[in-house]
Amino acid sequence: MLRQLPAGVATLEGPDLRYGFINDRMRELVGEGQPGQRVTDFPGNLPSVFLEMLPRIYTDGSEHTAKACACGPHHCYDLSVQPYHDEQGQIAGLLLLAVDVSEQEAARQRAHELALTTRHLDARLRVLTETAPLMTYTVDAAGAVTYVSPQWYRFTGQPPTADLTAIWPLLVHPDDRLRVLYESAAGRRTGTGWNFEYRLRRYDGVYRWMLSRALPEVHPPEAPFFWHGALTEVHLERELSEARRRGEAELRFLADSIPELVWTASAEGLVDYYNQFTMEYTGLTKEELGPTGWVGLLYLQEQAAAARRWVQSVASGEPFEGEYRLRRHDGVYRWHTIRARQLSDESGPRWFGTCSDVEEQYRLRQVLQTQYDELSRAHHNLDTFVYAASHDLRQPTNNLRGLFEELRRSASFADPEQAVMLGMVDTALAELDSTLIDLATTVRTQRQQQEPVEVLDMSLVLEEILLGLRPEIMQRGARIDVQVGEAPGLRYSRANLRSVVHNLVSNALKFSHPNRPPLIVLRSYLTPDGQPVLEVRDNGLGMHIDDPAHPIFQLFARQHTHVDGTGVGLYLVQRIVSSQGGHLAVTSVIGEGTTFTIHWHTPSSSS
Amino acid sequence: MKHIVYLSRAVHALTDHDLQHLLDQSRHDNEQQGITGVLFYSHGNIAQLFEGEDEIADALFARIAQDGRHSHVRKLVDKPIAARSFSNWSMAFHPLVTEGFEALQGFLLPHHMPPAPDSLPIADALVVELVRLAVFGPDPSQPYHHALPLAP
Ligand SMILES: Cc1cc2nc3c(=O)[nH]c(=O)nc-3n(C[C@H](O)[C@H](O)[C@H](O)COP(=O)(O)O)c2cc1C
Repeated sequence: MLRQLPAGVATLEGPDLRYGFINDRMRELVGEGQPGQRVTDFPGNLPSVFLEMLPRIYTDGSEHTAKACACGPHHCYDLSVQPYHDEQGQIAGLLLLAVDVSEQEAARQRAHELALTTRHLDARLRVLTETAPLMTYTVDAAGAVTYVSPQWYRFTGQPPTADLTAIWPLLVHPDDRLRVLYESAAGRRTGTGWNFEYRLRRYDGVYRWMLSRALPEVHPPEAPFFWHGALTEVHLERELSEARRRGEAELRFLADSIPELVWTASAEGLVDYYNQFTMEYTGLTKEELGPTGWVGLLYLQEQAAAARRWVQSVASGEPFEGEYRLRRHDGVYRWHTIRARQLSDESGPRWFGTCSDVEEQYRLRQVLQTQYDELSRAHHNLDTFVYAASHDLRQPTNNLRGLFEELRRSASFADPEQAVMLGMVDTALAELDSTLIDLATTVRTQRQQQEPVEVLDMSLVLEEILLGLRPEIMQRGARIDVQVGEAPGLRYSRANLRSVVHNLVSNALKFSHPNRPPLIVLRSYLTPDGQPVLEVRDNGLGMHIDDPAHPIFQLFARQHTHVDGTGVGLYLVQRIVSSQGGHLAVTSVIGEGTTFTIHWHTPSSSS
Repeated sequence: MKHIVYLSRAVHALTDHDLQHLLDQSRHDNEQQGITGVLFYSHGNIAQLFEGEDEIADALFARIAQDGRHSHVRKLVDKPIAARSFSNWSMAFHPLVTEGFEALQGFLLPHHMPPAPDSLPIADALVVELVRLAVFGPDPSQPYHHALPLAP
């Protein structure tokens, strides 16, 4: 009977744990093991942790159930083991029981994979919801608002701590409030979605028409518990269609007074009207623009995607919304939010579209990006400094340790206290050394990931760096002359290049001559043997180069004590350049200026 | 060279036979006159894009606009082009009887259209897509955008 059992059964007899009975199922786990052989010699697929437990369970004598999962060639098992006794009540062996849990294991695996996919989807969804121009929200069955995307806070000006459920009806225009509450409650009660418009109070107190659409999240047979929705601003489009209801002339009058690109399109999606401002902005006539000419105003790479979206909107009646660069009459592209929606009146459906200039917002985003870059550059500098400093401080520490070693051997101490002290100093030194090593390794591993070498557009990177130094440049009335024509590209790590140039330029600004405005020349060129070089020349105070009392590239070394600074900058520049296989040359005339020449690569290390 | 796009409505629903007749007639004339392009027909909705030398295209449009078989002719595009986007003249419609039409030269099932050629500016490809959509309605089996190039 044991043989047909849908579980594996085996006995291990005596203190040597030799196989006794083995049923067919158990074969999968124990493999070639035969009765009489020791389990340690023929463990088959039994997991080693399990094997290690067996002698203990045998000697323990007490009842034990141990569980382990062993995956045989075809199945996965839960293993349990317990001692069995002879007639005298003495332990005679162990009974192994293997229960097939392949199903559960596969299910667990699937659940794990599913969890991973869900996490990915979740992250992607998050990025999508928080970067799309529309606001998104989630409401539960009781009407509590459990989520609104950051765009909602930006639009309403509410603090992130706002009690969403309590506050949102108060932000709805009083004339719309009851209707909106009623319609959304009805949607939740019947388990359907909703689609309505209302005026929402903007951060500046102005009410704007919004389109609110939501759908329930359904997991049959349960009733929906969450409704997910989106809010789109439809103010202008709505005003336009109101005007249109009063007649085509009214529509044109309104549209022509709006300093935004406004257009209408037939039900087929073909534009039949552009307002005056569109002509002014694009410098094109209605005929030149034609029924789909707007798409030709977009960035070439963005045209196809925008066209596909428009066709989809026309086919489905769904509103169109996206951010695109639109070409102005002078060839300049400016970022716009393009929105269009379909509204019907007696003469049938028609599309109302607007393109609002959001260039300023984009600029702002860019400034933020620059600030972020500056921060990360500062961070990088700090890292480099810690790394270089820890590296350079190790040498003196080692020297000290050597000295102490020597001292201990040669001197004899009568006072035992002194020996203890010496031991403590030694320990302290060893600790310092290992701290320095740790520091260096931490920073290095961190940096290895963030320092990809790429071909850099020198004029772009230099411009970025100078943007970061703008306040100082303005304050000193400095003129910066950038000449990159001779060597416009450089293969280097961006962060390193930024650190080097930033330090040299800010030094040049700092040590400028009081009698004249600073002039700094940045020149990228190639040496006769084709090696890239950057020259940073200033007309500042100048410095002593060969003065041993004022070494320029040493840590904390400072030439001009009347100027603020830590003396870290040049040291850092030197470290970075040499760590990348290059070198740094400097010439200077006191009172006239300094020229740094950075040889990015040594001839052999580059190709 | 220019191309012209228009939308119109058939006066009477055109039968497969009518359409075949129109296809034969137009193919013959167009070949002789160097006109290329495409015609869409479905449930009385008509859209056509054709390209050719300026005077020939204008004259053709004038003839088509007068044709008693359709009305409400709305010219959507009439503009110069640098090069042809279609190599011949073809027609796409939902035939009442599918058999036989498959084999017909110059005939395309509405949703088996080749993608717009790369030389066609996206604004013009978009016109073609929109009039096709206007004539046939969205293809339930396909996303609507298969004729527009994917973003590079
Ligand atoms: C929807 C439609 C599309 C037509 N397309 C063409 C065409 O592409 N080429 C053409 O020569 N005639 C076309 N015709 C036919 C012309 O209208 C006209 O009948 C034909 O050119 C003969 O003109 P004629 O009898 O004045 O010579 C089309 C007619 C209709 C109703």
